[in-house]
Amino acid sequence: MNKFKRTVMWIVLVLLILSIFLSIFGAFVGAEREREFFNSLPLAVYWLAFILLLIVGLTLFRRLVGVPGLLLIHTGCIAVLAGSMWGSEAGHKLQKELFRIDKIRKGQMVIPEGGRENRVLLENNKQIKELPFSVELKDFRIEYYKPQYLQIRTRQGKSWRIPVEIGTEFPLGADFGTVKILRAFENFKVNIEGGKNVPFDDPQPGFNPALEVQIESAEGQVVTKYVFERFGGHVQPADRLLLSYHRNISDYISELQIIENNKVVAEKNIEVNHPLKFGGYNFYQHSYDDQAGQYTVLLVVSDTGLTVVYAGYLMLCIGVCWHLWLRHLLARGR
Amino acid sequence: MDDGRWTRDDRRWTRDEMEIKYTTQCYLIYITMGAYLLAFITTLLHRKKIGHILYLLGFAIAVFAFGYRWYDVRHVPLQNLFEVFLCLGMIYPVSLFCRRVLGVGGYSADMLIGFIVLFPAGFVRRFSAEPQQLMPALQSWLFTPHVAVYVLSYIFMAKAAFQAVCHLAGKTPNPNENLPSPEQATYRMICAGFPLLTLGLILGSWWGKLAWGDYWGWDPKELWSLASWLVYVGYFHFRYMFGKKHARINSLWAIAGLVVIVITLLWANLSGLFAGLHSYAT
Repeated sequence: MNKFKRTVMWIVLVLLILSIFLSIFGAFVGAEREREFFNSLPLAVYWLAFILLLIVGLTLFRRLVGVPGLLLIHTGCIAVLAGSMWGSEAGHKLQKELFRIDKIRKGQMVIPEGGRENRVLLENNKQIKELPFSVELKDFRIEYYKPQYLQIRTRQGKSWRIPVEIGTEFPLGADFGTVKILRAFENFKVNIEGGKNVPFDDPQPGFNPALEVQIESAEGQVVTKYVFERFGGHVQPADRLLLSYHRNISDYISELQIIENNKVVAEKNIEVNHPLKFGGYNFYQHSYDDQAGQYTVLLVVSDTGLTVVYAGYLMLCIGVCWHLWLRHLLARGR
Repeated sequence: MDDGRWTRDDRRWTRDEMEIKYTTQCYLIYITMGAYLLAFITTLLHRKKIGHILYLLGFAIAVFAFGYRWYDVRHVPLQNLFEVFLCLGMIYPVSLFCRRVLGVGGYSADMLIGFIVLFPAGFVRRFSAEPQQLMPALQSWLFTPHVAVYVLSYIFMAKAAFQAVCHLAGKTPNPNENLPSPEQATYRMICAGFPLLTLGLILGSWWGKLAWGDYWGWDPKELWSLASWLVYVGYFHFRYMFGKKHARINSLWAIAGLVVIVITLLWANLSGLFAGLHSYAT
């Protein structure tokens, strides 16, 4: 190996070791600061140096070009780095300056149920930009796993997990009696009728899930308690049992339509892991109105550079599998 | 008592980190651990046939334990550290592959590795065996392949690190067994495990894009995974350049890789230092 090649290999090793330490350093400082750090100007130079080194390596070392697996691995790495730089915040600014492409890189949209929106709050939380089309939310809903459960604990540490089955009585043993769930509420409210508090399930928008629980002690005393999912932990000194109610969410669903020139041009029920793709953007289920479920919050992300990154991933995968596995298996077969 | 409808738990609340877990699931783990340990001891005492039978028995019980968990939680059990380490305990196929296809030794060490990886699942309190339903972010077809390829790669890298330690300790294989040197064995196993590590990283990135909108979120777990991948990239480059002259440093790279993997798998999830999107893995 000549001196120049040896120097290049040394630089590769140094950069790899530096990358390892930067990754570890980033894990300690946290995602936000790491994102800012790796998207800063000095690190942009670092990434460019990495890409340049890969290109120099391909030029210098014939083996990297002559051996298919190695070629795929190294060009795949170039594609991943180039694609991610092009899709970064700096990449979007460059596109705006060079090609006058003013695309939103990342932001959030809040859309009320039945409403339509084209404004996006950018990730810097300071600017609002408009999309060239509108997004309409037909319906937002949350689905829960069934059965739901009521957790019961004693002060001594015993605990039970009871499925929410209306009317079924569950024994807790000779010391604690039995428990029965009488009603389940989606939106618990109280009316005053004839001087008495009468609970009811309010059909108006709102989230106040609750259970009406009847506890019959071992001595035959019957008590009715209300357990609230959102307001747990209320215990009286005389209470022997601590009750809590929690529903596990199975899915968040936003039924969306894309409206362009007053026509519906796309529609999809988006969930986590199932975004909507349209117009160079991806729309993700990000958050929602946790008070009344009346609006959804979508994450809007530009897909600039994504194809190049995915192509790089594919090349890297094929290259690594070919070079380290398949060519040896084929050679064995012969 | 567990009649499938409701459960009663008499577990005492203590500050200890370790406990014996009195559930059917954990009894299966303890029996598997016992079989693996006995297999290791009998193999060391040159009772290889009995050792092999015990190893197979341990593997069969490990598979049953994994299947039992799958039935209990109603989804592929790879959601939290308990389930991942339960999966790691099914080490026998990798053992067989390394012996028959890669032609490397360390068969008896695999029994010990199987025992060690099941220990946290069986005894560490923070490795909770409480069944959990899959949260929306985990309901993806990429969930199983992403975690499964990582689990498989970790076993290969652990075996590679074991061979690297043997190399540093100056151990050579029995000439009668026709096995490669520990340094060569390390290389073969890293070659087997590295594509899986790469696939795991890429599948995770792809899944992150579908779930959260970012194929790279600078999450601590992602950064530690990248660090472990880069260590093996460094291993290959160093071995290409200086491998013949500084073979012992090759082995140090392999051991460093396993150290970073252990940190990625355990510290990144369990430590309060690294709160991130992967914290549901605890």
